[in-house]
Amino acid sequence: MPQLTVEKLYKERKDFFDLTLLNSEKGLKKKLVNAEIHRPGLALTGFFERFPNRRTQVLGQTEITYVSQWSPETLRERTEKLFSQNIPLMIISKGITPPIEFLAIADKYETAVFSSRLSTSELTTRLAAYLDIIFAPSITRHGTLVDVYGVGLLYTGKSGIGKSEVALDLIERGHRLVADDVIRITRKSADLVVGTGSELLGHHMEIRGIGIIDVEKLFGIRGIRIQKRIEVEVHLSHWSEDQEYERLGAEDRYTTILGVPIPLVDIPISPGKNITVISEVIAMNHMLKVYGENTAAEFSKRLAERIHRQSMTREYLESDYE
Amino acid sequence: MYQKMAQVINRLGMHARPAAMFVSHASKFSSEVWIEKNGLKVNGKSIMGVMMLAAEKGSQLIISAEGEDEQRAVESLVDLVHDGFGDLKDL
Repeated sequence: MPQLTVEKLYKERKDFFDLTLLNSEKGLKKKLVNAEIHRPGLALTGFFERFPNRRTQVLGQTEITYVSQWSPETLRERTEKLFSQNIPLMIISKGITPPIEFLAIADKYETAVFSSRLSTSELTTRLAAYLDIIFAPSITRHGTLVDVYGVGLLYTGKSGIGKSEVALDLIERGHRLVADDVIRITRKSADLVVGTGSELLGHHMEIRGIGIIDVEKLFGIRGIRIQKRIEVEVHLSHWSEDQEYERLGAEDRYTTILGVPIPLVDIPISPGKNITVISEVIAMNHMLKVYGENTAAEFSKRLAERIHRQSMTREYLESDYE
Repeated sequence: MYQKMAQVINRLGMHARPAAMFVSHASKFSSEVWIEKNGLKVNGKSIMGVMMLAAEKGSQLIISAEGEDEQRAVESLVDLVHDGFGDLKDL
């Protein structure tokens, strides 16, 4: 589970969010554990049922105007109640400064209060975008990710089956390697998973018999890319008599990666089979489907029509027989 | 699935040569082999993955395997790590 300290958010994105720390640094060690943002307007009125205290809290001009109208007793009481909820941090938009007492109480509960010069909507938009990336669900998978004609093909299968060799062949034909061996996959939205390599491995890969090679150095910048949406999983396996392979392709098979359905193609490897060309066809076929063309379905429709027509003809001829 | 912890004892950590030794040893078994460090789990038969762990001296590894010879695979790989990959100069 990813975690983000308030200090890291402040140090790395101070300018991006235009932040100024209004109280002491005691609150910087607190941790954020989710990507959500909350506007605690109702909490200021004293309503704390189902209060989402683990979220980043954002106050705007309306809330601060409301707070400024409180009597000193109300201010103390309500602010105590708010910060005693153990919230991770508070950001106030439009560069507004809250009453001194408000900041002192926040300090007592070791909660950092920031002021940002951005408007509330701009601030929440930027915050959401930043936090979404940090808290996006991610996994690492063993495989090879290649961009073939702009389609992200994720090769999986046992170690030594030849994933890297297929990738090398594809690069040679002008396609681009994203990552080999260890693929870090992040879910960017409900139906979008993106794969990238690791910083240490870069675009190096191991070819059995040669050793480690640097694809960027060998093939240049055109042979690589940093990240790519995963669109099809190509599973390579040894040809087996017992296994049934797809013959028609009219129905799509899917696998799920981080909950996102991804079309799955099983390719049996056997001597003399050109996996590279098959890969290009998989990519082009995927594009056709994206553009609304399903070759296998079209073909079976054509066949059904032909059969229908033939039976019509036969019926006609048979009834014509005198 | 069978798994066991192992601690890296080499002074230079699991650098390229020990990593190569690990994967070629792992590849002798028919089981699937994984190696994990700090929550990052990679295929134990692939050198790039194993090197990516950048396991330094003292780091804890979880070696796991699944298949017919899983127990033999894990035990012998743990021994390999604990023997410092047979590199006595690097201990």
